[in-house]
Amino acid sequence: MLLAAVDWHSYFFMLFAMLACAFAMGVLLTSNIVRMAFYLVLSLGATAGLYFLAGAEFVGAMQLMIYVGGTLVLLIFGVMLTAQSRFVSMKIRPDEWILVASLGGALLLLLLYVAFSVPEWRMEHPHPAEISVAETKLAAPIGLALSGVRLDDGIGYLFPFLIVSVHLLVVLIGAGYLARTKRRATSEN
Amino acid sequence: MATNLEDPRIIEFDVRTDEMLVNMGPQHPSTHGVLRLVLRTDGEVISEVTPHLGYLHRCAEKIGENLTPRQWIPYTDRMDYLAAMNMNLGWSLVVEKLLDHELSDKAKHLRVIISELGRIASHLVGMGAYGLDLGTFSPFLYAFRERERILDLFEEVCGARLTYSYLTPGGATADLPTGWVDKVEAFLRQLEPIISDYHELLTTNAIFIKRTAGIGIMSAEMAIDYGCSGPVLRGSGVDYDLRRDGEERYTEMYDGYAYEVVVEKDGHYPQDRNYPKVPREAVLGDCWHRFYVRMLEVMQAMDLVEQGIEKYKSASGDWGVPIKLTQRLPKGDVYLETEAPRGQMGFYLVSDGSAIPWRVRARSSCFCNLSVTSELCPGCLIADVPAIVGSLDIVMGEIDR
Amino acid sequence: MVDFFVSTFGMSPTVAAILAAGIQCALLLNVVAVGALVFIWMERKIAGRIQDRLGPTRVGGRFGWLQTLADGIKLIAKEDLTPADADALLFKLAPYISFAASFTAYMALPFSDGWVAVHVNAGVFFILAVLGLEVFGTILAGYASGSKWSLFGAIREAAQVVSYEVPLGLCVVVPVMICGTMDLVAIANMQSAGIWSWLIFHDPFTFCIFWIYFTCAMASVNRAPFDLAEAESELVAGFHTEYSGLRWSFFFMAEYGSMFLVSGLAVILFFGGWNGPLAIMSDKIIGVIPGLGLAGQPNAWGFIAGCVGAANFIMKATIGVTVMIWVRWTLPRLRIDQVMTMCLKYCVPLAAACFLGAVFVKAEIFGLGYLSVDAWLPGLRSDRLEVREGWMTEVEGEGVTLSTEKTLVHGDG
Repeated sequence: MLLAAVDWHSYFFMLFAMLACAFAMGVLLTSNIVRMAFYLVLSLGATAGLYFLAGAEFVGAMQLMIYVGGTLVLLIFGVMLTAQSRFVSMKIRPDEWILVASLGGALLLLLLYVAFSVPEWRMEHPHPAEISVAETKLAAPIGLALSGVRLDDGIGYLFPFLIVSVHLLVVLIGAGYLARTKRRATSEN
Repeated sequence: MATNLEDPRIIEFDVRTDEMLVNMGPQHPSTHGVLRLVLRTDGEVISEVTPHLGYLHRCAEKIGENLTPRQWIPYTDRMDYLAAMNMNLGWSLVVEKLLDHELSDKAKHLRVIISELGRIASHLVGMGAYGLDLGTFSPFLYAFRERERILDLFEEVCGARLTYSYLTPGGATADLPTGWVDKVEAFLRQLEPIISDYHELLTTNAIFIKRTAGIGIMSAEMAIDYGCSGPVLRGSGVDYDLRRDGEERYTEMYDGYAYEVVVEKDGHYPQDRNYPKVPREAVLGDCWHRFYVRMLEVMQAMDLVEQGIEKYKSASGDWGVPIKLTQRLPKGDVYLETEAPRGQMGFYLVSDGSAIPWRVRARSSCFCNLSVTSELCPGCLIADVPAIVGSLDIVMGEIDR
Repeated sequence: MVDFFVSTFGMSPTVAAILAAGIQCALLLNVVAVGALVFIWMERKIAGRIQDRLGPTRVGGRFGWLQTLADGIKLIAKEDLTPADADALLFKLAPYISFAASFTAYMALPFSDGWVAVHVNAGVFFILAVLGLEVFGTILAGYASGSKWSLFGAIREAAQVVSYEVPLGLCVVVPVMICGTMDLVAIANMQSAGIWSWLIFHDPFTFCIFWIYFTCAMASVNRAPFDLAEAESELVAGFHTEYSGLRWSFFFMAEYGSMFLVSGLAVILFFGGWNGPLAIMSDKIIGVIPGLGLAGQPNAWGFIAGCVGAANFIMKATIGVTVMIWVRWTLPRLRIDQVMTMCLKYCVPLAAACFLGAVFVKAEIFGLGYLSVDAWLPGLRSDRLEVREGWMTEVEGEGVTLSTEKTLVHGDG
């Protein structure tokens, strides 16, 4: 197969990865809240593209639906909270920059260290044409794992799933709390 | 201890929202011309509506003080341009009252036929445009299709399709053409089954009822207080129609005609035998009732036209020769109101004895009808504003003059 | 196609692959764009007929079939305005986002057996997810326009689409559950035994759920009576008030693209996809009667069967679009609170109830299995192949084995 002569997966993987990083930087550098949300959506969309390339179509679609949908709500919140003064820009002070940069840099270093310590990733990778791709597209293992059943030896994801759900609930309540206002009760009510 | 809700210690928590000031109009698809509504909204909920007028002011009344009454007839056309015949009639009657000019029976029946046809045409537009306000386009064109036929008939009578200047002080500019009344009868026969189409598309449509029933409820007291008139008044259940309750000079036109004023009595309308029942959700005085009154008035007007044709055919006398263009007016002042399609259209004329009136004023029905918007709209959603304003069926040409 | 380029023109494989990809992209894009062109013309014609008018009659000879193209040329020639108060970058980008979202979903929409640009295993889910992105362009447009009417439209759209995704998802899950796969090609192929194998006639619950799906689909693609985001009698033109020219037409094309897409999805999920009421191209018609068996053959006959299937599919989806057009020109528009009530109080519970009923039918609990067509037409039942992806086949002690390949299991086997 001639198509296999070109390592398309790698090219596109690089492309999407770079897009995701670039838009993530965009989120950092822009000061307009709606544009931030916009770049965030693009970054997450590029990440979904990575999943599709990796053959995890279900996870990719999930990424689109949940993260992008969630960011949508974020965007609406942004619009709602800034409706008074349009195109409000958030200025970041230098000391905040330093704090965030050191925190983020530390996390990045940690991630890099972990990434390079995976032995499989350090092997010389074979040519893509020689890899026999296992059927990884199925959604059933994911569903089973989320409900606590792992087919291989690992443990299920029921507990992390629960934690994440509760976390999301907390975030929702928090958002509601932040957006609330005090108002004198009127006589009609 | 009873809780006093105005206690400043009581605080409610709500999602933080900000008020918005929105201009609806003067260039807006559903403000019926150039009405400008300034809305103060909290999200989609209206907290205040202020109508702003004057974008179509053409000094019609001042012009009337520089022209003879017959010369001013074309200006009345341009007031309520959807019911120009009825405007002509109002002004003609006022001038005739000043001159104490009596008309022949034939001329009176001619006027009934013409003005009731004008009422049908006007209500058809009102109905179609209301559908447009609620987001359905097709009934508008169905209504215009039938209105076009009335305009064809009017064109045959006077040569114009919108601004007729047909009825004038003294009668009309010409008699009805031969064979014209047969065409009118044919048209009425054709219109009758189409009315049920309108009922199906709008009056009884579930979404239509949801959008209009219980919206913009106006009590009878409020309607009277604001000086509402026409279908808006009768939609609130006030049994008042100038064709029956008006001045002798106007009501005598309708002597011998059998008709019932369209108003809800004991939960049903006089003509609702063959027509849809009032839905459960509808409250007297809401948008649905105002619309329904208009629809029934189309039927009523059709009856009147039929009767008028019968009487016209057998009536004696001439069709009413117009007064001279420069007829001198006697000193004095007169006021007369007629039941135009949109309500009571009054004209006031003060004469100093010359051929040109010293003062001319018009009392607009739509102006009063529109004044209730600021009372009806608060608490509604943005989508209800076109529904309410549309149910009042205003024509800016008449309000601004 | 790459092989063809390389062998015929002696290109390098890289250039050939890029060229092939470009041609395929252009093909897909144009199929959709031409589709939008046709549907816009159709809308005008149908609207005209409904309203006692003729609609376009002149451009392009008979029936005004080139009217949309003429409009397109007009739109290109119009001035591309950006309001002074707008966020220029987002304002300019928003139409492309809507457009791209609507068109990307076509990638996973099969037109005939195997005729799909990207055979996504979770096709249903992918289409729903990508379609949900369309609203993003709308919201950005509404926000970036710097107009209050646009903002109203955008917020309405956001509220509406986010709400209607819930019942829409519930509705889509039912056919997925019955078929045991999210693969659109597999779902459609399971309905290849004639009209009684179509999932809408599978049991009463699927019949109900189709109507809920169609209602929700209309709401999620913003068609009347749910077109609140652009309610012209209330919000001037809603989110696209400030748009003109080509940018505006992108929103328009996205709308028509999505309309066809949700109709196509309905056709695949409920109406047998590319299989006709008498699926003569498949090997059996209604279980027992032998058909031609051409579909899926790797030869010219298979290609012809594919063409017939695609025509079948497009026709059925077009009927769906026509119904949407018909509804638009008949009904008044709902109010925003009524739209939300309809979703949360009626569509969601109804969809949930139907879903539950369908589960009972499928699992043959409470004797509800007899509501299914499969119970009454044994021939159909044995013919309906069940695709179980990664189904747990056996439980031995503690170890659960999962067959990782797709298994085709006969319904009664």
